Amino acid sequence: MKTFTYTITDEVGIHARPAGLLVKEAKAYDSKITVTKDGKSAEAKKLMALMSLGVKKGDTITVSVEGGDEELVAGKMEEFFRNNL
Amino acid sequence: MKEKKSGQAFAAAQQIGKSLFLPIAVLPFAGILLGIGSSFTNETTIATYGLSGILHQGTLLYGFMLMLSNAGNAIFGNLPLIFALAVALGMAKKEKGVAVMSSAIFYMVMLITINTLLTLDGSLVDGAVSESVKEGAITSMLGIQTLQMGVFGGIIAGILAAILCNKFYKMQLPAALSFFAGTRFVPIVSMAVAIFTGAVLYVVWPVIQNGIFALGSVVEASGYFGTFIYGCMERALIPFGLHHIFYMPFWQTGVGGSALIDGVTVMGAQNIFFAELASPNTTQFSVEACRFLTGKYPFMMGGLPGAALAMYVTSRPEKRKEVGSLLFSVALTSFITGVTEPIEFTFLFLAPTLFAVHVVFAGLAFMTCHILEICVGTTFSDGLIDLILYGVLPGQEKSNWVMLIPVVAVYFVLYFFVFRFFIRKWNLKTPGREADGETAHLVSKDEYRKATGVGVAGQKASSAHYDEKSAAILRGVGGLDNLMDIDCCATRLRLTLANSDKVNEAVLKGTGASGVVIKGAGIQVIYGPSVTIVKSNLEELVEQIRSGALSESQFMDQGSAVPAPSALAEKKTVRKSAVLGAPMKGRMLPMNQVQDEAFASGALGDGVAVEPWEGKLYAPADGVVESIFDTKHAIGILTEDGTELLLHIGIDTVKLGGKHFEAHVAQGQKVKKGDLLISFDLEAIKAEGYLCTTPMIICNTEDYDSVRPLAMGEVEAGQDLLAING
Repeated sequence: MKTFTYTITDEVGIHARPAGLLVKEAKAYDSKITVTKDGKSAEAKKLMALMSLGVKKGDTITVSVEGGDEELVAGKMEEFFRNNL
Repeated sequence: MKEKKSGQAFAAAQQIGKSLFLPIAVLPFAGILLGIGSSFTNETTIATYGLSGILHQGTLLYGFMLMLSNAGNAIFGNLPLIFALAVALGMAKKEKGVAVMSSAIFYMVMLITINTLLTLDGSLVDGAVSESVKEGAITSMLGIQTLQMGVFGGIIAGILAAILCNKFYKMQLPAALSFFAGTRFVPIVSMAVAIFTGAVLYVVWPVIQNGIFALGSVVEASGYFGTFIYGCMERALIPFGLHHIFYMPFWQTGVGGSALIDGVTVMGAQNIFFAELASPNTTQFSVEACRFLTGKYPFMMGGLPGAALAMYVTSRPEKRKEVGSLLFSVALTSFITGVTEPIEFTFLFLAPTLFAVHVVFAGLAFMTCHILEICVGTTFSDGLIDLILYGVLPGQEKSNWVMLIPVVAVYFVLYFFVFRFFIRKWNLKTPGREADGETAHLVSKDEYRKATGVGVAGQKASSAHYDEKSAAILRGVGGLDNLMDIDCCATRLRLTLANSDKVNEAVLKGTGASGVVIKGAGIQVIYGPSVTIVKSNLEELVEQIRSGALSESQFMDQGSAVPAPSALAEKKTVRKSAVLGAPMKGRMLPMNQVQDEAFASGALGDGVAVEPWEGKLYAPADGVVESIFDTKHAIGILTEDGTELLLHIGIDTVKLGGKHFEAHVAQGQKVKKGDLLISFDLEAIKAEGYLCTTPMIICNTEDYDSVRPLAMGEVEAGQDLLAING
């Protein structure tokens, strides 16, 4: 398993549009991707779960990636968060 | 392909036959009123029983009897209309009420169309039938002079109205005409199609009429042998449930002959009998009509009870007690009411050869009654009740019912010996003769529980109570996902399945069924008259599973005792189809026209959007509020059917930070369809420069086959807006 933390800079946090982009990105990979905030976790491939975390600007989240290509995927995801959130 | 087609035709014929059960159910009652009423207004009867003192024109009792007779007649006289309504009711898949009303419209318009065309061609002159028209070709129906089509006319109207309803009940029209869309369009289109149908019938029906007259005369001319064939056919069709369709033409149309009674031409054996019953001038019931009616008395009152006795005496002694009560009740049902399916199905599936013998005996019974000129009519089936009403009460003079007694007695003895002989000779596995350990259909509840495991572990595992029998039925048909439709007729549970290969007959028979018929996608499980209870229990169980009170796996897994081949295939999660209501009043907007790429591209999932006219967001379905954002402009709902819904009010409205929005529900709260979720100030939001377009998104679109909008243009909150198909 590979994890990294990220602090949200996007004005609206993980809301509908960015969440949709995140799901789309996560679905491109086989690995299981989990987003955790304040002890609550959500699978990155599930839009509803993701949004119900209520991640806002300034929140710090932990992203964990588990699977055969976790090294590569973790890098890709980190890049995604920096570009979009 | 051919097999599939015949399966579909069978299913359609089944459905029509099944639809007729509702009106057929009223016939015995109407028949009783007519039988009693006309017996005691019949001058001959009155004179015979010496009742002329209290029963004559002007006495209260006479008036009452006349009322009964006429009330019964109202049913028999308007049977085509009643059948039209019943067929539409049975065949329509949705909006059955609309189909029924449309069917009435269809039937009336069809009749009047034919009437108009007959007037134009000179067959009707000033409302009277021209002398050039063949006798009986034109009749008065609902006060309209029209072609004599009997119940066929009604059935045609019912089928077409149902088809139109199934096709158009969701019909969309341009906004200006939207009042006439959907269900309101059905009666309109029915009227148009009825005119066309009437015109076609006007051309085609006289040809068919000539054919029916010809066929009728062939059957009539074929004499005793024709009666024999009729009797065999009628019985042989029972296993397929198609006997109603076969005998109905004989009972209700010119195929069964026609007669002139009190100056009125009456067609169809049953109609002739009841016209004669009602007529004070009848001296003897016509044997030409009763040859299609009387033949069932010998084997229903005599033969089948005899067969039951034969089964009883050939059963193993240790089984007699339990077998006896079953055989006695099915024999008694047959004897009193003439409902024979319970006993017939007891041996039909165990010993088809015996049923073949039974078919031949049935033909002979019809022929015997014909030869002996026994004329006892019937409304529904030939049991003791009908014998009293239509044989004994009208009197020996008319019906010759006394002759029936020796025939019934002979049939009892005949069936007893023949059945006993064949059961022993072929060692048939009739009830109580199964080899040790073999699961018969007559197992006691405890044995049944042990055998199937249902209700032993299952009840411990869960506090939720459920009906073991229904659970076993569900297992026998391969699970809830395989079960498309539940229905029943007088004695059979009729199920429509997605895949009939998944049926496990052994499991179904273990639930107390006396037989299972599989044809195409339809299966029939025969339980006897208690079937309505079986049906409602099964429906209840299905409801329990759907509402989440029960898990199907609770009892599906226990199928290991009786392996169901489908058990593995059922593991796949298949989402249920659902229809979501519009979340708000406004104008429907296809998703790809939403002014936001994230929604329009479908990246978040498929769905539909509404441009609201009112600042109120309602729940589109029952479910739980999964998430509601601090900014109160979006809400996630997990519906009871498992659909993940996102409702997002406005474009970029997250930037308002909750201003102008008010939430009425909290996270984790259960909501019902139509509950107010969020209210918002439409004008204020617009004034700040935001669009209020509200997409409704199915976040788990990938779980479904298709997501499809159901409405265009203006929508009311709660109106069906989005169909999702699993």
